[in-house]
Amino acid sequence: MDHTTVVPARPPAATNSRRPSRIRKHGSGYLFLLPAIVIFVLFLWLPIVKGVIFSFQDVDFVKGNSWVGFDNYKTVFHDSTIGQSIKNTLYYMALCLIIGFWVPILFAVAISEVRRLQGALRVMAYLPNVIPLVVLYGLWRWIYDPVGPINAALQWIGLDQIMFMTDPKWSMASLVIMETWQSFGSAMLIYLAAVLSVPKDWYEAAEIDGAGIWARIRHITLPSIKGLIGLMLIMQLIATSQGYQSQLAMLDGGPVNATMTYGLKIVKYAFTQLNYGVASAMGVLMFIVLSVLAIIQFRLNNQGDR
Amino acid sequence: MRAAERGILSTHDYKKSATRILIVVMSIVILAMVLSMLYPIAVTFLNAFKSTIDVNSFPPKLLPREWVTTNFKEGWDLMNLPLFMRNSLFVFLGNLIVTVAALGGAAFALSKLNLPGRKLIFLFFLSTLFIPPSTYIVPNFVNLKDLGLMNSFFALWLPAGASAFNMLLLKSFFDDINNEIFEASRIDGASNWYGFTRIALPLAMPIISTLAIFIFSSAWNDWFWPSLIMHDDQHYPVASAIYKNVINARGIKLNIKFAILAMVAVPPMVIFLLFQRFIMRGLHLGGVKG
Repeated sequence: MDHTTVVPARPPAATNSRRPSRIRKHGSGYLFLLPAIVIFVLFLWLPIVKGVIFSFQDVDFVKGNSWVGFDNYKTVFHDSTIGQSIKNTLYYMALCLIIGFWVPILFAVAISEVRRLQGALRVMAYLPNVIPLVVLYGLWRWIYDPVGPINAALQWIGLDQIMFMTDPKWSMASLVIMETWQSFGSAMLIYLAAVLSVPKDWYEAAEIDGAGIWARIRHITLPSIKGLIGLMLIMQLIATSQGYQSQLAMLDGGPVNATMTYGLKIVKYAFTQLNYGVASAMGVLMFIVLSVLAIIQFRLNNQGDR
Repeated sequence: MRAAERGILSTHDYKKSATRILIVVMSIVILAMVLSMLYPIAVTFLNAFKSTIDVNSFPPKLLPREWVTTNFKEGWDLMNLPLFMRNSLFVFLGNLIVTVAALGGAAFALSKLNLPGRKLIFLFFLSTLFIPPSTYIVPNFVNLKDLGLMNSFFALWLPAGASAFNMLLLKSFFDDINNEIFEASRIDGASNWYGFTRIALPLAMPIISTLAIFIFSSAWNDWFWPSLIMHDDQHYPVASAIYKNVINARGIKLNIKFAILAMVAVPPMVIFLLFQRFIMRGLHLGGVKG
């Protein structure tokens, strides 16, 4: 740190006269923590605890809550549409891996080799991230339209029209392609920083030993970013397992529930059917499943710090 | 040859014909990526200039046949965009103030004040990182209702301070600042408040700028949560208003729709192009810390 940049001005002389006692000193320190602690308790821990309580209650804003034991959980396990929503969520997670996960890694390696205009490429790859979500939804509804640009291109090369939104076979994949388009740039930039930080003389040494380009990527580049890839994988799984926003915004879970994910089912139970108890129980169950992933992420994260 | 001037490929590789083909192929792939990134963004703006007949013609053309600028005026008049944009700015400013005051103060105390028990308190904050947000979205809503915060900006402002991730960013920034500055000021009799407001915060401007951009983008982006909490136009942020009145509405002409979407997309794009530096830094921090 450059010491010349900061010259603390002399504090007022009045406080100079007496050294504060230990308690006094720490007391004011704890005051700095107080607002954050209050906010975390009120807006994070309280809802989390309430979620567990609500999952055993019938939540009624008018008559007040009443205890119902495990009834909400029984409802969850007997509702076949929830089973379907779990399948849809797993399908969504798998599609996100197949369509989206490898793309940023590939481009990070490719763009790391670009000498000129690399900065412009970074900006362009990140640009879709800046598009507001509602603009994204409006835009891609048009792009996927039966008379939109993709179908125009398909017709031009002589292929059949694809109903990206209304065909249940296509709807989830269409959402994943849209989301990949929007978010791949940020992942790419994270990978790119890691790829660029691999020491160049390793490649030099490998080349002298006769390693080809593919061997260099496979034995030097990829192992160097292995930890990051693992971390990004877990983060993506945690994020996609909760996905519901684009499913809700673009298709409202349709067509015929093909994009009804577990997260969206929670939203539907709560804000359409106003059954907050069952919705809370679904949240608790999801938390239990996801904490396993979170623990893996934590361990990977700690490995990365070393 | 200096080692720093090479990447995976060396100048020697460039001479091989197989590598040249690879380079051509990869260049085409990268070009395709650039085009597919830019095309949807370009059509958002170009469709906003098309006439109604033009925008609905099949197959769609990239450029407007004639440039219709009245679409923007019509879109602007269709809904109270200035009010909704003002609401979004309100949300952003409040979120930023709460983040800097509550999380900045706490991060400063945890990083610089040697408080007994600070490890435990840090864990209290940090452990919330591992609780996926959508698992408590429903009780969170009911909780805000119980607290009587429905249809109030405080329902968005106060919870903005409950971000363990932002606190982590601030704390790791403070951790990197030399302790001697604070010790010296303390020996001179400065209070902790003085150390926080006059030394720590000014030094933290880079990280606060990064946070500000992310907080702005989420304030501008979030449509679902605010639409649950807010009940009237006086409180609706722009994203929720657009979702309700444009995306989910029937009967708005397509070119007018695109004109509105283009106007909403401009502010974050301008901010991104002006402050790229801070965004890249934030991404890097995010990538390292999860």
